[in-house]
Amino acid sequence: MACEISDEDLIERFPAYAIDHDTKARYRGWLDRVMLVDRCRNCGTWHEPPGPICPLCWSTDTVPTAVGGSGTIHMAIFLHQGPPAEGVDYTTPYPVVVVELDEQAGLRISSTVVGAGNADIVIGRRVRLDWIERGGAPMPVFRLDDADGVRS
Amino acid sequence: MTPGWRNPAKDLVAIASAATTGFFASNTARSQLSYAAQAAIAALRAAGVSAAEVDGIIGSTSPTASEMQQALGIPVVTYFANPPIPFVNQLSAAVAAVHSGLCNVVLAYHASYRLPWNTSASLKDPFRRGGMTGGAGAAVPESVSGSVGYTAWASRYLHEYGGTREDLGLIAINGRSNAANNPAAALREPLTMPGYLDARMIRYPLCILDMDIAVDGADAFVITTAERARDMRLKPVLINAATLGMTSTSSEMQTPSLREHGQQVVVESLKARGDFWIDDCDIYFPYDGFSIIALNWIENAGFCGPGEAGEFLRQHWDSRTNRVLIDGRVPLNPHGGSLSEGASQGSGHIREAVHQLQGSAGDRQVAGAARAIVTAGGFFFNAQGALLRADG
Ligand SMILES: [Zn+2]
Repeated sequence: MACEISDEDLIERFPAYAIDHDTKARYRGWLDRVMLVDRCRNCGTWHEPPGPICPLCWSTDTVPTAVGGSGTIHMAIFLHQGPPAEGVDYTTPYPVVVVELDEQAGLRISSTVVGAGNADIVIGRRVRLDWIERGGAPMPVFRLDDADGVRS
Repeated sequence: MTPGWRNPAKDLVAIASAATTGFFASNTARSQLSYAAQAAIAALRAAGVSAAEVDGIIGSTSPTASEMQQALGIPVVTYFANPPIPFVNQLSAAVAAVHSGLCNVVLAYHASYRLPWNTSASLKDPFRRGGMTGGAGAAVPESVSGSVGYTAWASRYLHEYGGTREDLGLIAINGRSNAANNPAAALREPLTMPGYLDARMIRYPLCILDMDIAVDGADAFVITTAERARDMRLKPVLINAATLGMTSTSSEMQTPSLREHGQQVVVESLKARGDFWIDDCDIYFPYDGFSIIALNWIENAGFCGPGEAGEFLRQHWDSRTNRVLIDGRVPLNPHGGSLSEGASQGSGHIREAVHQLQGSAGDRQVAGAARAIVTAGGFFFNAQGALLRADG
């Protein structure tokens, strides 16, 4: 299990991300290809970004919890330039989406969409989580959910 | 929220003077401190204030208040601060410090500087490689933190209201037409809608003309009690109200919607604590660090409904001057805004308001300008605003 690797090794696996004691569980989850989002065990609400307490009830019993990975594209942009990253070629504008997860209204995470043309990556499309590799470490991405259509 | 609105400092703190170095969209062979110091000396001289009379310094990202105090040889201060940007943070700190008696005469400034995070050309200048790294967002393309967040919400705006890039372009064109009359502005060549639509795309749907222009340059202000300002050289500009606004879900991704963020807090606060609003202002300054921010401010301020800003701008477009004149009278960002004058983090908007209300805005002067509204900052962590009025 990735949760057994050292803190130093975790930082080394994800050099492009700022990892601290509040976000370390997320990236340990990535190594296991599991998307973890903080959930308050006291009141049941989900929270992003990860934090030390539940903003609603102030419980410290917030637990990184696996999400289903299905959601809806809430925002969609296409980068014609951006930071260098393995596998990213801006000659075709690079899609970046903010996805609202099914777990809770307003609960959103961002990534790219793979396996689709840019014209099909539109706000309202249903997506599901998948994983690719970057720099030898897993990275969460989205794929269009062909079984479902466009929601508002 | 029941704020219990109070405004005991209303009209009791004034901007005595404002000055600028002008802004340059190229890497000049000067330091950020040299611009800040130049603007500061100009503002102090305009007000007739000596270094020894300054007892408060409010800086911004760089140079810090202590660096500025040393550079100008200001003997003693009893208050100093380096608030974050945009510039209503500095203005609010000055109101609080002066009205409470922490100090009497504040020198406040913001120096803009082209740095590697906002211009790739700055990487070529070894003397610019230090400096602040903020604003760049995350180091991975999949992040929408920092400035990328505005592009994301621009996509949402166009989706929700069926808007077009032309709606955004009107903000850019308005700024450019106004900048033509502003010698301090970095970009003054006329801009047409085809020219806007052809401009280099950076992050669709925002092109390079939707993003403020990185510049070298600075603005500075002398802020003191209204009473003391009346004894200085220029007509005081009274700070009728100033406010910051933020909500609990303020991060780029978790902001609930374009109708639920800091801007609504700012509007409510200014209307409750100030003496005038959009129906009786002479100039309006909607912050335009990104064009989408200005559209959202115009709507949230109440000039029109959600999603209607593009149509509102077309209805109030003055074809003769190729810019907005609300009801044929009220200009928006008459100095050119951040998109054309330069990325001043709101200091340019406030400096122009001061000059307009003092009657010293040259070719841009709005006849009889007595009241200005500045709504600065964006959606996430930094919405803010101020009501400024001419004394007397
Ligand atoms: Zn809770």
